[in-house]
Amino acid sequence: MSVFFLYPVFLLGLLAASLPVLIHLLNRRKLKRIRFPAVRFILLSHKRISRSYRLRHWILLALRTLAVVFLALLLANPIFQTGAGLFAGGGPVSLVVLLDNSLSMTWSGDGNGFKQAKDAARLLISALNDDDRAAIVPTNITGKEPFRLKAQKDVLLRELDAIEIADGTVNLEAALGKAYELLNVPAGQKEIRFITDMGLTGWDQFSLAGLKQVDPSIPFKLIHVGRKQTPPNGSIKEIRLGSPGIGANLPLQIDVTVANFGESELKDVLAQLSIDGQNKEQKLISVPGKSESSLRFQTRLSQPGAHAGQVTLKKAGLAGNPTTNFTLDAQEKLKVLVVDGDPQTSVVQSETFFLSRALNPSGERDASIFLPTVILTDGLNTATLDGYQVLILCNVAALPESFTAKLQSFLRQGGGVLIFAGDKFQADSYNQKIARDLPGQLGEKKLGPEANADKIGKFAAKHPALQFLADPILEESIKSARVWGYFRTTAGGQAPLITLANGDALLLEQNVGAGRILMMTSSADRDWTDLPLKTVYLPLIQSLAQYLAGGNRGALDGGIAVGAAKEIALPPTLVGKNLRVTKPDKQTAEVAITAEKNRAVASIEENDRAGIYRVSLPVGGEKNAGAPQMYAVNPPLLESRLDEISARELQAKLSPIRAEVIPVDALKEGGKRTDLALPLLALLIVTLLIEGWLGQRF
Amino acid sequence: MPNGDKNYFDPKVLAGISNLALRARWVVEGLMSGIHRSRAKGFSVEFEEHREYSPGDEIRRIDWKALGKFDRYFIKEYEDETNLRAYLLMDASASMNYASDGITKFDYGCTLTASLAYLILKQQDAAGLVTFSDHIESFIPPRAKRDYLTQILGALEKRGAAGETNVGKILEDIAGQVKRRGLIVLVSDLLDEPESILNGLRQFRFRGNDVIVFHLFDQAELELPFDGNILFEDLEAANLQVIADPRAIRTTYKQVVQEFINDMRKQCRDNTIDYQVISTATPLDRALASYLSWRG
Repeated sequence: MSVFFLYPVFLLGLLAASLPVLIHLLNRRKLKRIRFPAVRFILLSHKRISRSYRLRHWILLALRTLAVVFLALLLANPIFQTGAGLFAGGGPVSLVVLLDNSLSMTWSGDGNGFKQAKDAARLLISALNDDDRAAIVPTNITGKEPFRLKAQKDVLLRELDAIEIADGTVNLEAALGKAYELLNVPAGQKEIRFITDMGLTGWDQFSLAGLKQVDPSIPFKLIHVGRKQTPPNGSIKEIRLGSPGIGANLPLQIDVTVANFGESELKDVLAQLSIDGQNKEQKLISVPGKSESSLRFQTRLSQPGAHAGQVTLKKAGLAGNPTTNFTLDAQEKLKVLVVDGDPQTSVVQSETFFLSRALNPSGERDASIFLPTVILTDGLNTATLDGYQVLILCNVAALPESFTAKLQSFLRQGGGVLIFAGDKFQADSYNQKIARDLPGQLGEKKLGPEANADKIGKFAAKHPALQFLADPILEESIKSARVWGYFRTTAGGQAPLITLANGDALLLEQNVGAGRILMMTSSADRDWTDLPLKTVYLPLIQSLAQYLAGGNRGALDGGIAVGAAKEIALPPTLVGKNLRVTKPDKQTAEVAITAEKNRAVASIEENDRAGIYRVSLPVGGEKNAGAPQMYAVNPPLLESRLDEISARELQAKLSPIRAEVIPVDALKEGGKRTDLALPLLALLIVTLLIEGWLGQRF
Repeated sequence: MPNGDKNYFDPKVLAGISNLALRARWVVEGLMSGIHRSRAKGFSVEFEEHREYSPGDEIRRIDWKALGKFDRYFIKEYEDETNLRAYLLMDASASMNYASDGITKFDYGCTLTASLAYLILKQQDAAGLVTFSDHIESFIPPRAKRDYLTQILGALEKRGAAGETNVGKILEDIAGQVKRRGLIVLVSDLLDEPESILNGLRQFRFRGNDVIVFHLFDQAELELPFDGNILFEDLEAANLQVIADPRAIRTTYKQVVQEFINDMRKQCRDNTIDYQVISTATPLDRALASYLSWRG
C-alpha cells in the first residue's frame, strides 16, 4: 500500500503552505493605529470572545494552510495504491512484464511456480488502467521476436495464457534488452517487472554489458516466486557409451551419471532406460548430497541405424529435469577380410591369431562390431572384396596379378587396406605393383635380435585413428612396445603416424581415391614385435580398422542444450538445398544448407524444445553423407539446480540498475490504484467553503 | 434663515456652520417653525418688564393700569416668572473629541446644548451651563435673561474637549451646587463607570431635579466599522491599548455596547431619568424633540 505522485514537482507547492502563517505574521507587524474613545468596550469584547476567537482564528489558519496543501497535492496528482508491489510509479504506466518461463519454474514455488508466476502476471495486467500499456515478454526469447506495448488487457491476457514453460534456461540479456527497447519511448511512468524464481543458472550467463541499452531510471522489480520447502533436487548429468562401439545385436553399455544438487541424499531413485520408446532396463540409484553417482545399463540394439534413447529418473517430489534424451547410431557389423600370408598348423602361431582376436576377442558372431574373415594368400585370386569394408594383409609375400586391380578399385571406392610386413613380405613386389598407392617406398628390411629392439618413439596423438591413445595407460602401453624387425621406408607424402625411437616409421598412411592405405612396417604377430602382447594392441587394431572403415563405429550422442544451435556438416554438393527438421512436437522446419569453406553446413537454431529432432536430407542427397538422422536436445543441466542468486550477487550483476525484490505473495494480496485528484478537489472545495463561512462569521 | 428646502438638523450640515449661535438658532428656528407658541410663565415678586398680551395669557395677569394708560393690553412679567431652571451639563473630556465622519461628539453635544439653551431661553426659562472633564471647566448658573445665551455660547466655545472623563464625581459635585430644583440635562458619552454615573444622577433625583441624559455616540462607536488588524489607542488613557481584528469582535462589540446602553436605560428608568441615546449621525431634531416632549 503506497501513495505516489504523477507530477511530484508540484509538491514544491507544499512550501506555500507556510504562506497563511507568513501572511498572519506580516499582518501582525503591519498594524493600523486608531485613536478611539470606546477602547474599554473593545477590551471587554476581546476578553469575552478571546477563547473562541483564538480557536476560530487557528481553525481559519489551519483551513487556509490545508487549502494550500490540498492544492499542491492536487496538482501533484497523488495515486493511492493498495497491494504491495503493484506499481511503484504513477500512471499512465508503460509496463513490461518479463515472465520467467525457464524449466526451473516447474519446480519453484513448491511445485506450482509457473502457475504462481502467471497469476502474478495476470494480476499486474488486470491492475492496469485504460491508459496504461504493457507487454509480456517470456524470458526464453532470442531477442529477435517482435513485441510491442499494447493497452488491450484481453489481448495481453491471451498472450499470457499462451506462454508455456520452456525447456531451456532464461535468456536474460535478450529479455531485459527487449524490455528496455520497448520502453525506449516517451511515457509517463515506465516499469519493468520480472517474475522469476531467481534461479542462479540464468544469472550465471548474464552480463549487463551484453545489453544494447540500459535505463537505470526505469524501476526494475523482481517478483520472487520462492518456495517454502526444499525438495530433493537432482538430474542426469551425463549419458555416455560404456562399450567401444555400437552395432546391431552387439552388447551395448550405457553409463548414466546422476547429480544431486541438494544437501541430503537422493535415495533409491528409479532410473529407466528406454530406446525407441521401449523400456529396456530399470535400476535404482542413490546419490549422496552435493555429489554424483553413476550406473550402467546393458542392452542391445537389434537394428543398425539411428535410435532415440531416453533415461528417466523417477522419484516422488524430485525437483529437476527427470528425462534426458540421447541418440544412438548403431552400425552394421564391419566386415574385415584378413589375409594370412604365413599360415601355421598351430593357430596360435599363425600370422593372424592376435589380429583376428583383437577384432573379435570372444570369437562369437554377435560379440564384436568387427566380423573378420581370414583367408590364405591363395584365396586372393578368387576373393572378391564386395561387402568388405576393410582388407588386412598380414605378411602377404606378394600381391597376385589378378588381385592388384581389385585392390586398387577397392581403394578408389572407399575401401580401407591395412598392410602388415613380415618375414615373407616382398617389398619389391609391393613397390612395383602398387607403388603409387603406398605411403612410402619400401626399403631394406631391418631385423635385429630381440634384445636390441627399438621402442616406439612418438605417435600422431591427434590423428583420428590414434586419439584413443589419450588414455595414459594405453599411451604407456604403446610406448613400452618393442620392435626388432621392420622395413625401412623412404619419406612419403605424409608424416608417419607412429615412429620408432630411432626415427624410422612404423605406421604410415596414404589416401587413395576415396579410400586409404595404412602400412605397418612390422609384423602383425609377435615375430618382429611384442606389440600384439601389449594392452594397446586390441584398441589399436580396432581403431585402425574402424578408421579404415570410414571412422564410424556407432556412437552415442548426448545431444545439445535447449537453445543451442546444431551444426550438421554435409557434402558440398548439397549447398543451396534445404534440410528438413522435424521437431519433438512434430512441427517441421526447413533449414538452408550453406557453404562454409570447403564444406556444406546446415545450422539448426530453433532447438527450443527438449526431445528428439529428426533430420531429413534433401531429395537427391546422398544416403551416407555423414549427416545424423536425428539428434537429441536436452534442458541445460544447471536449469535443474534450484539454487537462487543472492541479493548481493544480483545487485552486482545489475549495477547500476537498482533492483527491488518483491515476494510473489505480496501481489496475491491484490491491489488497486486510485486517482486521488477528485477526492482532493472535493476536499479543497469543502475546505474553502468552510473557510469562507468561518471568515464571514468573524 | 432656515427654509423648507434645508435639513436643519443634519449634523453634517450643522458642521458646516462654524458659529455656534447661528447653529443653535438654525436648529431651534427650524424645529419651532409651525409650532404654536405656548408659554408657561411662573409667578414672582420682582417685576422685570411688560410684555404685550397675546392670546393664551391669563387674564388675571393683565396690567390694567397700563391698559388705562396706553389703551393696550400688557402683561407684567417678573424675574422669576419661569418655573424652570435648566442646568446643561456638557461633557468636555477628550473622548468627546472623536469623529469618525464629519462632526465630533463634542461639537454635536455643543450644538445640542446650545440649541437647548436657545430654546430654553427663548421660552424665557432659565438656562445654565456646566462644562466638565474630570473637573468642572466652567459653571454658569441658570438665568432667564435673553442675552444670557451669549454667555452660555461663549463658555461652550471657550475650549475644546480635553482631559479624562470622571462623570460620576462631577455630577456629585454639581449636585452639591444646585440649590434649587430644576432640570438637569447631561450631554455626555458616559465613558465612565456606569455605577458612578448613576450615583451622580441619583444625587440630582434625590434633590427633586428632573434629569435628561443625552448619551452621545459616534456611529463608529456603535458599529466598529474597521477592517484589518488594528491597534486601538484610547483617547483619554494613553496606556490603554488593544490589538484587535474588528471583523472578529464586531458582533460581540455591538453586544457589549448594547448591553451598556440597555443597562443605562434600565437604571435610568428605575430612577425616573429620561435617557436618550443619540448618535452623532442622528438629526438634532430628535434630540430636541425629546426635550420638548418632556417640557410638554
